[in-house]
This record gives sequence, C-alpha cells and structure tokens, in this order.
Amino acid sequence: MKNPYLITGVIIIGFLSLVAILAPFISPYDPAMIDQNSLLVGPSLKHLFGTDSLGRDLFSRIVYGSRISLSIGIIAVGISVSLGVFLGSLAGFYGKVIDTLIMRFVDIMLCFPTFFLILAVVAILEPSIFNIMIIIGLTSWMGSARLIRSEILSLKEREFIQAEKALGASNSRIIIRHLIPNAIGPVLVNATLGIAGAILLESGLSFLGLGVQPPVPSWGNILIESKATLGIAWWITVFPGFAILVTILGFYFIAEGLKKIIG
Amino acid sequence: MDNLLEVKNLKVEFELGAKAISAVNGVNLSIKSGEVVVLAGESGSGKTVTAMALTRILAPNARIKGGEIIFNGIDLLKSEERDLVKIRGKEIAYIFQEPTSFLNPVYAIGEQISEAIILHQGKSRKDALQEAAKLLESVKIKDPQRILESYPHQLSGGMNQRAFIAMSLACKPKLLIADEPTTSLDVTIETEILKLLMDLKRDFGFSLLFITHNLSIAKKIADRIYVMFRGEVVEEGTMQSIFVSPRHFHTRELIAAYEKIGKI
Repeated sequence: MKNPYLITGVIIIGFLSLVAILAPFISPYDPAMIDQNSLLVGPSLKHLFGTDSLGRDLFSRIVYGSRISLSIGIIAVGISVSLGVFLGSLAGFYGKVIDTLIMRFVDIMLCFPTFFLILAVVAILEPSIFNIMIIIGLTSWMGSARLIRSEILSLKEREFIQAEKALGASNSRIIIRHLIPNAIGPVLVNATLGIAGAILLESGLSFLGLGVQPPVPSWGNILIESKATLGIAWWITVFPGFAILVTILGFYFIAEGLKKIIG
Repeated sequence: MDNLLEVKNLKVEFELGAKAISAVNGVNLSIKSGEVVVLAGESGSGKTVTAMALTRILAPNARIKGGEIIFNGIDLLKSEERDLVKIRGKEIAYIFQEPTSFLNPVYAIGEQISEAIILHQGKSRKDALQEAAKLLESVKIKDPQRILESYPHQLSGGMNQRAFIAMSLACKPKLLIADEPTTSLDVTIETEILKLLMDLKRDFGFSLLFITHNLSIAKKIADRIYVMFRGEVVEEGTMQSIFVSPRHFHTRELIAAYEKIGKI
C-alpha cells in the first residue's frame, strides 16, 4: 500500500458512485412514496435508516440524494476547472494586459461573498439542479485560474517550451499540449477539494430552501426537513449528515493522495 | 554558390525594467548551403541570442532593433508569425545545450519526435511513430523501440541529445543550428555526437551553424568561423586563417585557452 490515502478515497468515492448509479436497484422504496402508517419510524430492518415525518423511507431518499449531490459536485467542478484553466493559462502565457485584465477580474470575483452571490442568483432564477451546478461552477473557478497561471508563469520560461517553439509549434499548441499537462497537477488536487466544497455548498443551499426543491431528495434538503423533528427523530439528521461527511472525507483523501503523487 | 542565410546588421536589445541592454550589436554573417559555420566567443558575447533571433524565438523581453535576416530569399524579420511557424523546425531546426531540460518531461521520446512530423508533414500518429523509429536508427540508436517509449528522465544526456537530434532532423531542415550541443556531455560522448552530426550532415545535406566557445571543436568541424565579442562579430575567416593569424585579441584569448588545454 504505497498510497493509503488515495486508495481509501477511491474506494469510498467508487462505492458512493456505484450507489448513485444503481440507486433504483438498491433503494427498497420509491423515495417520494408517502406511507401514512409509518411516520417517523426509527431505524429497523424494514426501514434501515427509519422514515421521515411524511413516512418516506430515509434510506431510499439518501440513496437517491447521492445522485444529486455527486453530480452537482462533479459537474460544478468540471465547469469551474475548465473555466479556470482556460482563463488562467491565457493570463499566464500572454502576460501583460491580458494577464492584468483576467487577474483583476479574479480579484473582483474573490471579493464577492460567494455564498450570498449564489443565494441572490438562485433567488432570481429558478433553483433547479441545472442552475445550481452552473452557478457554483461560475463562482468557484478563481482558485484554479490562479494556480494554473502561476504554474505556467514559471513553466513557460523552461527550455523545453523554447525547444517546442523552435520546432514550429503555435502558441495554442504550446499551451494545450505542453504547458497545461505540466501544470495541471495542483489544479487537480484543488479540484477534488472543490468537489467536496460544491457538495457542501449545495447542502447549504438546500438547507436554506434555495437548493434542490422537494420532493426531489438531496442530502441538504433532507437535513432541512429534519430540523422540525430533531428532538424526536435523530436519524433524519444523523444519516444524511453522515453521508455528506463520508463523501467529503472521500474526496479529501483523494486530494491528499494526489498531492503525494505530485509532490 | 548562393548564401542560404544572410544576416545583415542584426541588432537585439533586452528590456530590463526601464533600461534597454544591447546584446547583439550589428552582426553580419552568412552561411552557404552545405557549409559548416562556427560561431565562437565567450559566454555572454551574444552567440545564442544571435541564433535565437534567426527564427525569432527570443524571450518576450527581447527586441530586434534592426537588420535583415534573409533565409532562402525571404526576410524573416518581415515575416508574419504564422509563416515563421512553418519555417521553424521544418527549414531551420535547433539543437540545444541541455538535451534533458529541452525535452518535455511529460511525454515519451516517441511522442515528441512524432510531434515534429505531425506538425509539418500532417502525417497520422501511427505513421509518425514509425518515422520516428527510423530517425532514431539514423542517429545510431540501437534499440529504437525502447527509446521511443522512454521518458527523458529515464535516459542519459547523450541518449537524449541523440533523440533531440533525431527530432530536429525529422523534417530534413536546410539549416541546423546547434547551440553548444556537447557542452553538457562528457568528452567521449562529445566526440561521438560531433561525429554523428558530421555523418548526418553528409546524409541529410543540411548547413550547420555550430555555436561553441571551444575552439578545439571548431577546428575539427568548421569550414568558416565567426568570433563574437560583446555583441559584435570581431573576426571572421576560414579555420586556418584564424589560427595562423588571429587579428582580434579575443580570438587570441580563445586560441590561447585551447592551446593551454592541449598542454595539460
């Protein structure tokens, strides 16, 4: 076991992804099915994680919720990394005015309290899953942009880039084929952390009622429903909270493992 | 015979903050096709800057302040970047001092050699890799398949330099510019690489601009030599005329250094 962090992380996330993909086969009940006869039933063999105040099976809801949480995390970060790498490599490679413009824009974006910006945008637009992915992506690319810029600033002075130029490669080819593959490492580490961040952000938004809208289950909106019954039904808080915790831990482990490989 | 390359009054400056520092100040030189020309001089005399200026691959803070670089009848200083891209690597190729750091660490040797072929000849990746294997054989590498799949850090400097030469020759350039290609290698490898370059010159028929501070190398290979000192060409001539009657004191210094080594 050379890299226990990476292996543990991959096992956790691999398991969760499988759960998300196989949700219809794993969950014993329809996540939206209301059962008047079993409201707020504690964990039992019939309902592994218990039921909520409408009698819906919590286990099924958490299993389906993993689809939302994971896909929001991965797609939002996909958007933010693509945008960050694109703008950051332009800034790093061309320098001067382009660099100043892009990096000041990054500073401006960093000055916004992101969470409130997202809240405002979601309040104006419709809080659909699709919108949330895009908004999280569009407000979290600054870190990747800065990382890739600083990597490219030093890489572009290296000899093999000069050799590549001497070979007749165009600027775009040098950036895409030679600079980005050398600079992407730290960005990937940052991205795995970003997935965890995006999942937390979605949970936060859902908790405030501006995330994924019921009856579609997400870990965040299951948590908000648990608030009213916290005193009498601990399981509705504990299980989705635990799911978030494990997922984020999994991504942190992967990030940590990747850091070791790169460093 | 016509000149393949003719440089007239080339001037290059570097911008350092508000100051401009002159690195090359009015260099004239010419290379005929098939000729081996050595550009000699101490460190900082402007040899490398001159060579890099030829296809305009200087650092961003360098400014070419004037002159003409006529290659094959075209003034490269008046050419657009998109035309230069077609000349670099295809018509004029370079090999450099530290082969290992001039190769991209994330790609295998085969990928890098075939890149030159794909760039300029539009071949498929598979054909390019086959071509790369042939090129590696022509630079006298015995097991090309293994080298194709190796990464630069897995190979020795001499092996990397051979691979780099193979890459430079991929498109059969008319002019090969070798910037101290043996300085980072040990003496036995140096001799092998020099011999290889001369063999390849005969087979491929390129002109060679060889940059060095070591006159013992120059003596072995050069048809003509230019001596640079502080950004200017201070002396030029055939190898023999320079050794027999050096006029500039820097030429005498270089010869003295060469003879001193000989005595040790």
